[in-house]
Formats: sequence, structure tokens, C-alpha cells
Amino acid sequence: MIKAYLVFGGLVLAALTWTHYTGWGPSNVTEEKVKSVRNNPGSYRSAYGGRSYTGAK
Amino acid sequence: MIGYLVRTTLGDAGYSWFEYLLHNPTLGFRWLVEYHGHWVMTRTAPGVPDTTAGGVSYQGVDYRHFSTAKAKVVAVVGEFPWTPRVDERAVVEDYVAPPRMLSSERTPQETTWSTGEYVDGRTVWTAFGLKDSPPERIGVGAAQPSPYAAAGRPMFLLTCAFIAAAVLVHLLFSVLSQQRLVADVIGEYRPGAADSALVVSEPFSLGGRTSNVMVEVSTDLSNRWAYFTLTLVNEDTGLAKTFGREVGYYFGRDSDGSWSEGANWDRAYLPSVVSGSYVLLVEPEGPSPVVWRVRLTRDVPRPMWLWLALGAMLVPPIFFLWRRAAFESRRWSESDHTSSKDDDDD
Repeated sequence: MIKAYLVFGGLVLAALTWTHYTGWGPSNVTEEKVKSVRNNPGSYRSAYGGRSYTGAK
Repeated sequence: MIGYLVRTTLGDAGYSWFEYLLHNPTLGFRWLVEYHGHWVMTRTAPGVPDTTAGGVSYQGVDYRHFSTAKAKVVAVVGEFPWTPRVDERAVVEDYVAPPRMLSSERTPQETTWSTGEYVDGRTVWTAFGLKDSPPERIGVGAAQPSPYAAAGRPMFLLTCAFIAAAVLVHLLFSVLSQQRLVADVIGEYRPGAADSALVVSEPFSLGGRTSNVMVEVSTDLSNRWAYFTLTLVNEDTGLAKTFGREVGYYFGRDSDGSWSEGANWDRAYLPSVVSGSYVLLVEPEGPSPVVWRVRLTRDVPRPMWLWLALGAMLVPPIFFLWRRAAFESRRWSESDHTSSKDDDDD
């Protein structure tokens, strides 16, 4: 059991270091390619446009 | 082996054990005692143990009381240093300090103490050159050494080392990471006002290795809500990360007293954002005006990972402690000091 714990704890430590280093994490992010922001700010609206939030109270 | 006898406890729940008398001209007499496949090699103990709170102390070892029973001889074969007879009765007391055992046998005439040590059945079979296998063990023997006893201290030390290492890793990243404020955008949203529906930040740079970005949204909301669609656009690649955050803060007072729900601020993390030049788009929505502020901070270690790592690291020790306790519970389920006799056999 000690050997298994050594391996397990080592993996957890490695995972902790990796997540801290890369900034990895679960997220609810949509990634899309858009046109130039600086030249035409309104163009991004197409990247996420068309949605309207109706939640909350 | 020169003698063999069987003893049975008196009472409704009587049980039997078997005693084999061994003799060696040099070493003298030894007893091999077997109960439910568990073997203890014993010999007469010189001296008398000292009584302690929970048992006895003998030659520097504390023994816990295990059981006291009246027993009688039900079968006897061979030669003995005395003349045992069937139905001969004695009060038998057992004390344990696994793998050691201390027993007393009390008759109206005398009290005899014997000290013993647990022996694996296979060792007995090998020693006597017996074929087949020893009888299968049932339950946990009174003096059976716990397989978890030796691992307790290493497990404790390893747990401490892992916890210390995890905290150190988090502290190192907390000290060495950038944690640099890269964007601070302030705006005011008015429903129906097109100029407040979308705000684009000045370009800013995210430097260093690929790491996260912490997004903090603060507002002046009070018994209201607002929803923010945020888009982080990489000007170099044209890739946009779009996500939404709801902020709502309510409070009041009712028959139970004051209450509150939510907060007028929110925090989120964008994972693994590559370096480059970016702009942030903020699109608020909501039924009422709101003054808002969005701040982006580059490379922030998340405490959540530390807590998760610590939780994961504690699972094996807790499992270990549970198994060790279950083993001891099965041992003591055969003793006079148990509240349940329902434990499973080993």
C-alpha cells in the first residue's frame, strides 16, 4: 500500500504542478476565429452574437 | 508432539480450541494452541504480570484483556507433566499485544501463566513436514499481527510529506507567477442604449508562458442581476474566447431575519491562454442600469487545485485507517469487549 501511495501521491503532485504551470482548468469557453478587432470592432459580434441571456431573476 | 487435548468453554455459546504439547530435551515444553486456524506457540511464563488499567503488564509489554471464560477439558491424548482429566475445569484469561499473547489458567489449586506468540499455520505445517495445507483461518486471531501495523508510521510520514510538498508547490507558484493586471475596463450599461451594449478595451499584451487569466467582474448591483458576455480576442491569431458570467445580488428581511443571496461581483479563470496581443469585449445585458468593472489578471495560481490535491492525497490514508480499524474490529469481535458479533470472517 505504501508503494501504491507513493505513486499516487507523486502523480497528484505532478498534476498540481502541471495545472499551476500551464494554467489548465475546466472552463465553459467558446473559441472561434474572428476578423480584425481593431479595424472593425462590430465584426466580433458575429462570433457570439445572436444569443440573448434571459436567466436570473 | 507428546500430548493433545481439547478444551471447550462452558455456556450456551461454547467454543473449542486445541492444544498440542511439544517437548524438546533442551528447550523443555511448549504448547501449540489452535483456534479457527490461528496458531499460538506458548510456554510457561516465569513470574506474575502486573495488573494495569486495561489488562496486565509483563516484561515491559502491556497486554490488553481479551477474554475470560470458564473452560473444561473434553478430550485428552498422550503424555503431560500433570494428569489432565476430561471435565477438568479452569478459568482461562487471555491478554493480547499482537503478536504476543499472555494467558492465565486458574483452578482452585493454582494459577498458571503462559506467554505465547502468533505463528502462521504454514510455518507449523513446514516445521512438522505436513502435507496439504493448514486449516483455513476464520476471522482474525486474538494475537494475529495486523498487516497494517507496520505501515502506519510510514503512511503518516508520507502523508505529511505529500501535504507539505503540495503546499510548497502552491506557494512557489504564488511567489513566482506573474499575477499581473493586464486590463481594467470600466463601463456603465443602460438598457436600450446601443452605445453601452458593447465595450472594447484598448489592446493589451499577455506575456510569458501559456497560463491562465483571472477575470473579475464587479458591479454596483443591488437586488438586481446582470449578465456579461465576455470575449477575449487574440489579435495575432484572430481566435476569440467567448464566455458568459451572471452577476446577481439580492438581500432582504423576512420572518426568519435578514437574508442575502449571490454577490455583486464574480470571478472566473480562463485556462491556458497563449501569449500575444489581445482585446477584451464586454457586452452587458440586464433589465436595469449597472456600473461595471472588468479586470483581467495574468497567471494566477488557483487555490482550488491545492485543495483538490490535498483532498486526493488524504483518500489513501483514510482508506488505510478504515481498513486497519476494520481489521481490529474483526479481532475484537471475538473478545469480551465488543458490541457486535456480526463482523464478516477474514
